[in-house]
Amino acid sequence: MDEPTSTFSFLGLTFTWTTVLSTLLAMSVVVLLAVFLTRKVSIRPTRGQNVIEYVLDFVRGILGDQLPSNLARQFGLYSFTLFLFLVVSNEMGLLLQVKTASDVTLIKSPTADPLIAFSLAIMSIMLANATGIKTLGLGGYLKNMFLKPYAALFPLNFVEQVTNFLTLALRLFGNIFAGELMLNLLASMAFSLHGFGWIIALPLEMAWQAFSLLIGGIQAYVFVMLTAVFTAQLSGEE
Amino acid sequence: MAQTLLMTKAMPLGDMVFIIVAFLLLMVILKKVAYGPLTQVLDQRADKINKDLDDAQQKSKDAASLVEQRQKELSESKNQASQMIETAKKSAQAQSDSLIQAANTQVAGMRQSAQEDAVQMKNDAMNTAKKDVADLSVTIASKLIQKELSADDQRALIDAYLAELGEQ
Repeated sequence: MDEPTSTFSFLGLTFTWTTVLSTLLAMSVVVLLAVFLTRKVSIRPTRGQNVIEYVLDFVRGILGDQLPSNLARQFGLYSFTLFLFLVVSNEMGLLLQVKTASDVTLIKSPTADPLIAFSLAIMSIMLANATGIKTLGLGGYLKNMFLKPYAALFPLNFVEQVTNFLTLALRLFGNIFAGELMLNLLASMAFSLHGFGWIIALPLEMAWQAFSLLIGGIQAYVFVMLTAVFTAQLSGEE
Repeated sequence: MAQTLLMTKAMPLGDMVFIIVAFLLLMVILKKVAYGPLTQVLDQRADKINKDLDDAQQKSKDAASLVEQRQKELSESKNQASQMIETAKKSAQAQSDSLIQAANTQVAGMRQSAQEDAVQMKNDAMNTAKKDVADLSVTIASKLIQKELSADDQRALIDAYLAELGEQ
């Protein structure tokens, strides 16, 4: 993370160009996809609608496995948005990475940035905790979180809550970051060996891209599923 | 490791705020563009499927009761038909019986009268024959008697006979 970055200040806060541009690009892609696939929504689905309905069904399936139906309904929009954003974000860096001449990365996978992964994890964990408080009341929520199944397990439970948060963020960031690092290494290898490196690097790069596509999808799924799992745990549904 | 990575990056709080705000905005847009219409359509479809299934169930129930009704009606009309055939047979039998009876009676009557006629005719014939024989014997007798007489007498006899014939 000692890459050079370019930042700007706005309202007293510091923003990183990489984060802002990559996130905005990913979100624009998500919005465009959503608009494109839902141009003509009808009871008898057409091709585009089928695709996005499949995604929605998939997300609802994840939620339905973990949460009672009323919570699953409440989390529908959040998880749907999260899943689409994560899929697009995870795969974006495989196709597009933009660097300036001074080696400042402008666009890459947003989720390859630990800060973005942590922000998303914070959002998910906060939502899960808020749902827990809403469902169980503050006392019940604290008791459920720290004193189950025995009060003596409080230290373990406390650590578990912290690690839940850390692993949620780090799993996402680690997978995507490692994938892109590997891609960059293979890309730089293509230009080495007196210009013949690409003969080895090209098939490797293709294989790794395919693998990263898979990983990106799986990580999006895992993130959404873990959000649902934590929510279920914190609202006493296990 | 990432913990230390984060710390060294001097916590750009702005990025976090930006991401979360942008994400919330994305949620709003997606709700308007995709999630809202999609869930609405999915609910409508679920409703429609439920309604169609209920309809189909109701219809098959109706059809079953209709079939039962038709079956009942059919067997009823079958019964009726066989009953009608039975009555028709019976009445035909009765009619034919009475016709045969009448014919028998008539034939018996006819036979009786024929017999009577025959007896009558026989009697008549006998009577006639008796009378004829009597006449004939008288005639023969008279002829035998007249043969003994003279030719003149014979002539007179023949004349008389002819005259008698001519009278007849």
